[in-house]
Amino acid sequence: MSHPLVATTNLVKTYELGGETIHAVDGVSLTIDNGEFVAIMGASGSGKSTFMNMIGCLDVPTSGNVEIDGIPTSDMSGDDLADLRNRKIGFVFQQFNLLARTTAVDNVAVPLIYAGKSGEERRDLATQKLIAMGLGDRLVNSPAKLSGGQQQRVAIARALVTEPLMLLADEPTGALDTRTSEDIMQIFQQLNDDGITVIVVTHEDEIADHAKRKIMFRDGKVIEDAPVTNRRFAKAQEEGQEVPA
Amino acid sequence: MKRSLSSRLSAWLVNISIAMTALRTNLMRSILTTLGVMIGVFAVTLAVGVGSGAQVSVLESINSLGSNMALVFPQPDGEGGRRSFERGRLTTRDARAIEREIDGVTDIAPQLRVSITLVASGNSTSTSAIGATPAYGRVSNVAAEQGRFITDADVRTAARVVVLGTSTAESMFGDYNPVGESLRINRIPFKVIGVLESKGSSFGNDNDDIAIMPLSTVRQRFVGDTLAGPDDLHILFVGFQDGVQLSTAKREMTDLLRDRYKVRGRDGNPFTIRTTEEFIEETGQVTGIFQTVLVAIASISLLVGGIGIMNIMLVSVTERTREIGLRMALGAKKSDIRNQFLVEAAVLCVIGGAMGLLLAIAAGRVLTAYADFPVPIGLGVSIGAIIFSALVGLVFGGWPAVRASRLSPIEALRTE
Ligand SMILES: Nc1ncnc2c1ncn2[C@@H]1O[C@H](COP(=O)(O)OP(=O)(O)OP(=O)(O)O)[C@@H](O)[C@H]1O
Ligand SMILES: [Mg+2]
Repeated sequence: MSHPLVATTNLVKTYELGGETIHAVDGVSLTIDNGEFVAIMGASGSGKSTFMNMIGCLDVPTSGNVEIDGIPTSDMSGDDLADLRNRKIGFVFQQFNLLARTTAVDNVAVPLIYAGKSGEERRDLATQKLIAMGLGDRLVNSPAKLSGGQQQRVAIARALVTEPLMLLADEPTGALDTRTSEDIMQIFQQLNDDGITVIVVTHEDEIADHAKRKIMFRDGKVIEDAPVTNRRFAKAQEEGQEVPA
Repeated sequence: MKRSLSSRLSAWLVNISIAMTALRTNLMRSILTTLGVMIGVFAVTLAVGVGSGAQVSVLESINSLGSNMALVFPQPDGEGGRRSFERGRLTTRDARAIEREIDGVTDIAPQLRVSITLVASGNSTSTSAIGATPAYGRVSNVAAEQGRFITDADVRTAARVVVLGTSTAESMFGDYNPVGESLRINRIPFKVIGVLESKGSSFGNDNDDIAIMPLSTVRQRFVGDTLAGPDDLHILFVGFQDGVQLSTAKREMTDLLRDRYKVRGRDGNPFTIRTTEEFIEETGQVTGIFQTVLVAIASISLLVGGIGIMNIMLVSVTERTREIGLRMALGAKKSDIRNQFLVEAAVLCVIGGAMGLLLAIAAGRVLTAYADFPVPIGLGVSIGAIIFSALVGLVFGGWPAVRASRLSPIEALRTE
């Protein structure tokens, strides 16, 4: 692979708040290659989410560039960015962000609507991903009838359903207990072993230690960028739980 | 990435199912909003129906006059030119000339019109009378229900006989069959020879409040010297064969009469010719305007319904900002979001429109059955109403939908 998966150059995001300029992200240049497992850390307000949103093409930088898979995004239209997100990026959110009153299958199938897949394809692919997440018996449950961990697994299935190159997760375990968090991190490790690039924002060291590389933010700047020395490996918690193949 | 036709279609189906879920989620609100559109579509559809109904009944009453006919009046047509007539002219000889020289004429019915007072056995009533020939019955589709109509012999002898309309007969004789009875018309003794078939009423005008006498009798005994000449007429009906082009016939008659009265160049005529074709055209215009006004008034309620839709769609967009952000994050383009909300508004409106349409059809049936006023709401109007409802949704849902599609993904996602 000649080009990195994510490359930022001098990435800046500022907010004007009551005449004051907040440098949420302040000149970040870094690259993330295919197959990496990156944990982004830092204190609250250090700019982690802002950075994530920009490399996820959800937010537009004030200045600087983001290249995804070798393609500069600064001149892309909103619709082109939507297409790029749809095909190359999977998102996992702290609050799961599942559609209420909508079955697990239909939730997972949402990105496929925008990928232009037929109803049958959507159902098949979504079902496949849910089974891979160990939710084969929860296909038609609505989010209200699922535990937090199960909801997050539905969300991961949704993030994966278009076979993206990378998974962006902003505090994916923030709303979960330790045990369930371990489950989720185990899934991420497995996915990463299968070749998907994973980028996780967290402020818990135990979570970050599951990654291969740690990037530390402070006041919008990267203050530390190093491999994880003592990597943690999550163990399957539940008996017979399936892991993605 | 190009999307195939079938995937586009399935995207619309998805939008409809998203819309149904959203509408079910806020069921009460959806119903109330739908109500506004329902009332609007009900009002507009009924207005269209009433308008067409008016058209139908006007045409019916024109047709009851006799379908293919020209009316000639001795009235200056008021056209300019160097010379114009002070007083109109139309004579029996003109009528005969028309019968002789114009193609396709089946009957000529020369008439005199007078107001008369009838008196019999202490009863007295005033009505308008027609001095006519037997041809009048054929041209105007009138016939005697009891007794007989005017005959050629009656006209030849200037007989003192009268045929009464049902209303006139009733006010003079009640339920009693008056044929053969005597009465006095303007003090002159007459004999009732017949009663006409009822023609009902049109526009509050009782068509059965009438009396018909021989043309010659009226001329001798009632009009006196009010006419320009002894042979003059008040009106002439000219009946034509089916298929005769009335506009052509009118031109030919005009040329003939101009010739007879030596009217030249652009000078005005001492007569006026109208055809049933013109009446139908003019009433078509009038009822068209009537219908337009009616529909315009009814549209106001639809406008109110539409504003309700817009209001609720704005609320819906605001409530679901986070969902919009999520969908954008997952790859929804501007048009996907816009279409989703357009479909939701259209679905709301079509449901309301369908209910309004059913209500209007029901109301139309009731009006037809109990008020004897036809309110035709046909398939075309029904399909139109549904399409129109969807359009209301697209128009009034348009702005909220476009607003939703312009949200920034991250701003929308961050909304609580
Ligand atoms: N929409 C916004 N308007 C104004 N300021 C903002 C906005 N979004 C973020 N900020 C500011 O930018 C800075 C970085 O915010 P960001 O959300 O990236 O931090 P974070 O590292 O993700 O923090 P946390 O761990 O609490 O999630 C903060 O000071 C925040 O107040
Ligand atoms: Mg954050």
